[in-house]
Amino acid sequence: MSPVPDPRPARAGGRRRRAAVSLVLSTALAASACTVANSDSVTADGDALRVVLPEEPPTLEPCEASLTSTGVVVRSNITEPLTERDPGTGELEPKLATSWKRTSGTEWTYRIRKGVKFSDGSRFDAEDAAYSIDRAVNSELGCNVEGYVFGDVDLKVAARDAQTLTVATPEADPILPLRLSFIEMVPTSTDSEKKVREPIGTGPYRIANWEPGLRLALATNKQYWGRAPAYGNVDYQWRTEGSVRAAMIANDEVDVATALSPEDGAGDAAEQYPNNETTALRMQVTEPPLDDKRVRQAINYAIDRKGIVGSLFQGKAKAAAQLVPQGVVGYNESLRPWPTDLAKARKLLAEAKADGVDVDEPIRLISRTALFPKVDETVQVIQNQLDDLGLDVEIEMKDTAGSTEFQERPFPEDAGPYLMLIQHGNQAGDAAFSMDQYLLSKGFQSSGGTAAFDRKIGAAEAKTGAERQDALAEVFTEEPNEISQYAYIAHMYGVIALAPDVRYRPNSATGDEMRIAEFTPAD
Amino acid sequence: MSTLSDKAADGRPATGSDAPAGGAEPSAPARDSRVGLWRMLLRDRVATAAAAVLSLIVLTAVFGPLLVGSAATEQHLDNTNQPPFTFDDGWLGVLGTDPLGQSVLARLVVAARTTFSVAAPAVALALAIGALIGMWAGYHRGLRETLAMRVADIIMSFPSLLMAVVVLYVFSPSVANLVVVLAITRIPVYLRTARAESTELQSRLFVDAARTFGTSSSAIIRRHVFPIVLPTLLTLATLEFCYVMLAESSLSFLGIGIQPPDVSWGLMVSQGRSYLQTAWWLTFFPGLAIIVTTVSATVLAAWARLATDPAQRWRLTLPRRARHRTRTAPAPQEAQS
Amino acid sequence: MFHFLRRRVLTSILPLVAVLLGVFVLARLTGDPASLYLPESATPDQRAAFTERNGFDDSIWQQIADYFGGVFRLDFGESLRTGESAATMALRAFPATLQLAGATMLIAVAGAVVIGSWAAFRPNSLADRIASFLSMTAASVPDFWFAITGVWIFAVGLGALPTSGVSDGMSSWVLPVATLAIRPLGVLTQVVRGAMVSALSAPYVRLARSKGAGGVRVVSHHALRNAAAPALTVAGDLTVSLVNGAVVVETIFGWPGIGKLMIDSITGRDFAVLQATVLLTAVTIFVLNIVIDVCYALLDARVRETARV
Repeated sequence: MSPVPDPRPARAGGRRRRAAVSLVLSTALAASACTVANSDSVTADGDALRVVLPEEPPTLEPCEASLTSTGVVVRSNITEPLTERDPGTGELEPKLATSWKRTSGTEWTYRIRKGVKFSDGSRFDAEDAAYSIDRAVNSELGCNVEGYVFGDVDLKVAARDAQTLTVATPEADPILPLRLSFIEMVPTSTDSEKKVREPIGTGPYRIANWEPGLRLALATNKQYWGRAPAYGNVDYQWRTEGSVRAAMIANDEVDVATALSPEDGAGDAAEQYPNNETTALRMQVTEPPLDDKRVRQAINYAIDRKGIVGSLFQGKAKAAAQLVPQGVVGYNESLRPWPTDLAKARKLLAEAKADGVDVDEPIRLISRTALFPKVDETVQVIQNQLDDLGLDVEIEMKDTAGSTEFQERPFPEDAGPYLMLIQHGNQAGDAAFSMDQYLLSKGFQSSGGTAAFDRKIGAAEAKTGAERQDALAEVFTEEPNEISQYAYIAHMYGVIALAPDVRYRPNSATGDEMRIAEFTPAD
Repeated sequence: MSTLSDKAADGRPATGSDAPAGGAEPSAPARDSRVGLWRMLLRDRVATAAAAVLSLIVLTAVFGPLLVGSAATEQHLDNTNQPPFTFDDGWLGVLGTDPLGQSVLARLVVAARTTFSVAAPAVALALAIGALIGMWAGYHRGLRETLAMRVADIIMSFPSLLMAVVVLYVFSPSVANLVVVLAITRIPVYLRTARAESTELQSRLFVDAARTFGTSSSAIIRRHVFPIVLPTLLTLATLEFCYVMLAESSLSFLGIGIQPPDVSWGLMVSQGRSYLQTAWWLTFFPGLAIIVTTVSATVLAAWARLATDPAQRWRLTLPRRARHRTRTAPAPQEAQS
Repeated sequence: MFHFLRRRVLTSILPLVAVLLGVFVLARLTGDPASLYLPESATPDQRAAFTERNGFDDSIWQQIADYFGGVFRLDFGESLRTGESAATMALRAFPATLQLAGATMLIAVAGAVVIGSWAAFRPNSLADRIASFLSMTAASVPDFWFAITGVWIFAVGLGALPTSGVSDGMSSWVLPVATLAIRPLGVLTQVVRGAMVSALSAPYVRLARSKGAGGVRVVSHHALRNAAAPALTVAGDLTVSLVNGAVVVETIFGWPGIGKLMIDSITGRDFAVLQATVLLTAVTIFVLNIVIDVCYALLDARVRETARV
């Protein structure tokens, strides 16, 4: 671009030609402008629910449904699991299975619901269920749900008859049904070598029309075994900017806008709800000076959680003392957030320094852009407070790929000491999922721990019933003293906006699994 | 292929490459009167104002951070998003506070320095590299010219975003890396302009003469080509300054610009965008700063260009009233049209 | 002319390959996509399988050879993110960007010619100063600020336009095009004005005026043609940057264009898609550059003469 306002000298010749050129040019431009990229507008009739999401689902492959952007569309709308966790009570409810029970130490048996059909008309039976589990967990597809829910455990799955399914694990697993509730059922005709973009399912809706980049339309599944949903069609669109999503609600272009921030301007349409996510600062316990527990505790004392919750989140969040929020099995009600005490923090740091710990070493504070609304502000506040403490902290915001590298094992070598602002959502409702990943010394997202603490976690996870709750809660009590790997920040809230004529009560799972069947028109 | 068809190939005149129009000879850009320039400047009210504003901004960037001290990064979580003219916490609240309770005024001042320390080196670097290669290519023509132009094409069609992501993610997003990214992506602009001008110049009589006297090419470029190309490039650079500030802002929009707690105008605009509904001042003032800086710089550059061009200077030397009458040209018919 | 064109096309092939090579290598510097696409529990075996399946374990030379081999067979690879063909994705997104760029430049050029000439007709007059001031301001407004403010004022506040998307016919074009056009309009207005000021003071224009030609006639018949050259250069450069992706505008307005696709494929480490989009935009930009040069050759009689040599 070289916009220098200065002329060429006048030239006598070729004027007509020049006029011709400009004519040609402008015609070309006009022509290119006229053929509008207008795909026919699937304008919503009264029967359609119009939803705007923050991003387009990269794929609708059901075995990727633990990815938020895919799962929010697929789960319980297009495909369904055997059992489903009620986000309110935390109990498992029957879905495509009518009952399930433990038939031996390591084996569970499911009764498959009769009379269920896929949207292509084929019948759903135990064969399909076994195939779906095999495909998601034991195949070479590399499904996301496999890593999220099962780790590297392989399952033995068998269809005893059309209505009976058995699933066996190498070791006893008291919460296997909960884990299996993440697996969406697909017919045996689904490709086993390759992920599918547009799956067939048993859910209340089927994919009607997906125009990539533009919109995704669902229509009701005429074969659906349950009660028909209130809305006959769903029209999904996606916009990256929260304030644009809010504007679409205000302008009556959509009925539902998800993943907003309180500042986006949705006004009265906005509804806030605890969304199951917990933010925390993970400290690399292996890297000096963070390998010194006093330094980690000093960081914990320096962070002003009340300030963050009060002014950044305007009270729409809860200062956190553990990795999971209320409602998850293992949540410890009696834990109080770490108090803010800068004097004590400085004293701990000074002690560490006196013992020869190099507390002047620069520490990286890494997080992901758009991890949650106001992540930038949160990172800045933490940086500022640690700076007050006397640490040399540098902010680095990365994209998903860049931050994943630092977040998950294997951690990059020579990364130096770093703090990682993470957000963890326990979709399963049992703290074991969180502990396996975040607290075990070799957990995929854990920077370290001790063998003794691993044993405690293992023992707690093997328990059932009320004992399980208490044992898991005890782990959360002890973590700050024994390991102190995390500085928990807050249990977060989500914001969803609804048009005045739509009724829906968001729950803690809304962000990961938005069941369109739960939406009803206001009368 | 002959050299001549080369001219056709890349014979695009630089945007307004016309410094030596009317045959003004190269050596001396109005050396006669430093004082005269000053007087001319003072006579043009708008240019004077622009110069004053620009000096103020530069002074702010240089000395301002000393004045506001650490106020720009002092967070007051109990005093967030205060509208402008809130003086509860002193005069620093005059432009309001941001979501972290930091003074917007103090941040604007500190950001001025960061903004300039990104934009100025980026523009200077791109200008220097682009001008050197461009003049060299335009002077020598032939293969070297084709080579340089294709390199420019490569940079232009290369996704600058990818370059930014690579440099800023793989290496850290430091100010130095930001400068490098912004500079590289803007080199073609200067390169093409400089080449176009020097292509035209190298066929001129005075260059021919110098060549016959055995002057080395580098000396000819330095003594005869450079002084003529310079005014065009400088005008270009002022506009590019604006572009670079905005580009840096766009990088912040994507999360790969200046990293807090450092602050630049571009970053401020980007950070404030989620508060457009609730706190307009967060984006308004830094945006205004960018606009005011650009407009002043452009006004001043346009003036300087006239003032240093012997063929155009008469426009400025006329007394204001007389100018009013003979606006476009010293042509008598003018007044009637 | 044919000679010139052929030469121009031939010398463009090598740079194109260079662009593609550069993208190929740089993209792989951004890290291994395995961690993005494999579950965090992936065993070393699974990681190795992923790497092998996508050919990331070969030497970079082998990978380059494979890729270019594929390009010759028109096989541009498959998206890691969506599982679709990379070429399909790029081609699907491209028209949206081209149309946006076309409409934007049409408006910017037309607006700049009118405003620029009007301002130049009386240099330094109040009208000129206002026009210059406004165009300079326009050139320095941050685009995402303009876009989001526009959405809230015109869509929500006045209810006159849709907020975003492409489904509401022409009215959904207004905000994206306005956002994109504001800077080119500002820059071009200044270029046209500058060129016109000089053209209007040129001897032959003065001659025409002295013969009694009226204002509009002088501007349109004499001066404007001479102002076309610099405006064309700048307009060309501006178009190039639009083709290369109006990332911010496409992101905000949910416009399914190439800029959004490019940023998504960069953040998704979706190399095949990135390469396909870059190939497409680079070819377009090279063609655009050639077209501009041809226009120049046609515009400039002198250059045209020499081009025959």
